[in-house]
Amino acid sequence: MKESYVALINIRRQVFAKIAKMAYDGTDLSELEKSSFEIIPGEVATYRDSVFRERAIVDERLRLTMGLNARKPTEFHRVTDGIAEVNVDKTHFIEPLINVITYACEACPTKTFYVTDNCRKCLAHPCTNVCPVNAVSIGKNRAIIDKDKCIKCGRCKESCPYSAIVQYDRPCAAACGVNAIDSDYLGRAQINRDRCVSCGNCIIQCPYGAISDKSQIYQLIKALKTNNHIYAIIAPSFLGQFGPLATPVQIFEGIKQLGFKDVVEVSLGADITTLREAKEFLERVPGEIPYMGTSCCNSWTIMVEKLFPDQYEYISDSASPMVETAKYIKKKDPEAKIAFIGPCISKKLEALREDVKDYVHFVITFEELMGMFVAKGIELSEIEVLKEIQDASILGRGYAIAGGVAEAVKKTAHAIDPSKGINVEGASTLHDCVKLMRLAKAGKKNGYLLEGMACLGGCIAGPGTIASLNRVRKAVTEFKNQAASKTPFDNKIIDEKLRNK
Amino acid sequence: MKVKVCVGSNCTLLGSMNILDQIEDLEDIIREDAYIYSDEELDVEAIKCLGYCKEIKKNVAPVVVVDEEPIFNATSQTVMEKIVNKLRK
Repeated sequence: MKESYVALINIRRQVFAKIAKMAYDGTDLSELEKSSFEIIPGEVATYRDSVFRERAIVDERLRLTMGLNARKPTEFHRVTDGIAEVNVDKTHFIEPLINVITYACEACPTKTFYVTDNCRKCLAHPCTNVCPVNAVSIGKNRAIIDKDKCIKCGRCKESCPYSAIVQYDRPCAAACGVNAIDSDYLGRAQINRDRCVSCGNCIIQCPYGAISDKSQIYQLIKALKTNNHIYAIIAPSFLGQFGPLATPVQIFEGIKQLGFKDVVEVSLGADITTLREAKEFLERVPGEIPYMGTSCCNSWTIMVEKLFPDQYEYISDSASPMVETAKYIKKKDPEAKIAFIGPCISKKLEALREDVKDYVHFVITFEELMGMFVAKGIELSEIEVLKEIQDASILGRGYAIAGGVAEAVKKTAHAIDPSKGINVEGASTLHDCVKLMRLAKAGKKNGYLLEGMACLGGCIAGPGTIASLNRVRKAVTEFKNQAASKTPFDNKIIDEKLRNK
Repeated sequence: MKVKVCVGSNCTLLGSMNILDQIEDLEDIIREDAYIYSDEELDVEAIKCLGYCKEIKKNVAPVVVVDEEPIFNATSQTVMEKIVNKLRK
């Protein structure tokens, strides 16, 4: 979540802690009816125009966190309608993952250029002179842009010496790299399911907190209370997320105190994915396929599948680090149920895939996990534990930072076959991923390994993170350098056959 | 000046790391216009849970302590204002 959106963070995370507490306490779910009152008490509005609207929106957040759909404003429903369906101890996914809370959406105007008070109606008026469709004229008080003519090229804005012309766009739409934000009949945001890849960037950017994903914490906690074979696998970007004083081993121990049997680094799976992708690349490129795309970012692969279907076969067949880590645990404990904890909400969809659903049973974010720590009253920095975590190599732990995947695969492929040079290129926003795929489709990236990531900066900037990018990058780098194994080849946990060059 | 930012679970959940980030960035602003401010050093520390949430039984997170004075429901803007005012000559 965007760190400076303090008020939104407050509401969103209080709901996580609330639902987690209800799950741990075994509170009767009819109590949900009054939860919004407890989160927004009194009669004076703090966040919006009215306290009643604030509570209505919290009600929707409570429902989404329970895994239910937000209610339709046009139909009468109680907060608890449908609750029995999700009062279970396994993931019960109701489409879609990403939801607009309609009455939180303020129907911001769509992309436009407009002239501000800064305009001095100057003599040169370059704004009019550079317009390719003659849409800018000089009015009585300032320049005027004819909205019907304007093609939104932005040339007037660039030419103005007074910075008087600004570009305006809905933050959700500006953040969306696949153009999936439409409008409903009241001008409110509506998500185009055919294009959406569930990256969650609109959730982060909306300043009204009007978009939210669904959570599985209630069902996960319910399962944790009865099943003692639930394992947590935690993504490489977990460092620094839970406060600067919580050490990695304290975080692992804290997760165990939530009811998990054990915790494993997903960087271990990253090592396995690296070995597989390196071998796959050497085998298939350029003979079988012209280039290869990495497979670990789920939104990137969905984007290729939806927008470039004829290129989809060039995405690596190797399973993602999440799946490889889960497979490793499942092999050791066939009874295991596995929960992925990460910065990503797209993984919630990946875990539902036919080839994944038997390995990964729950997916939650760091934010949601923090809500669980608070609900359970766990203070990570006070846990006394002396152990070392050594599940993965330096390269595996680097997956979280943009460029890390390609670097790991490149170095590993080079170690297997030094004679073959590999070109890599990466993109780390969905906008750039789409651009990169256009080039690849045009044949301009043949022989390349393409690393696609939907979030700017990589997984460390995912929508489910708590700490800022810089803080996490520093912590990840430090933890990476503490790894005993330099490369996946040295990681003794991994099957020797796979490690054979 | 001693500024302690609580990074216990509840405070972290409700954004204390952002307060920490912002106070740390404040040092750049102060350095830029050093002549306006006193030479007093700004010492920022992340600290373990102080237990106020349990003690007061109300929602007080995030908690920041500026020179022994606790600020409840702290926001970065109020904390930074306090720091800047105290540091001004």
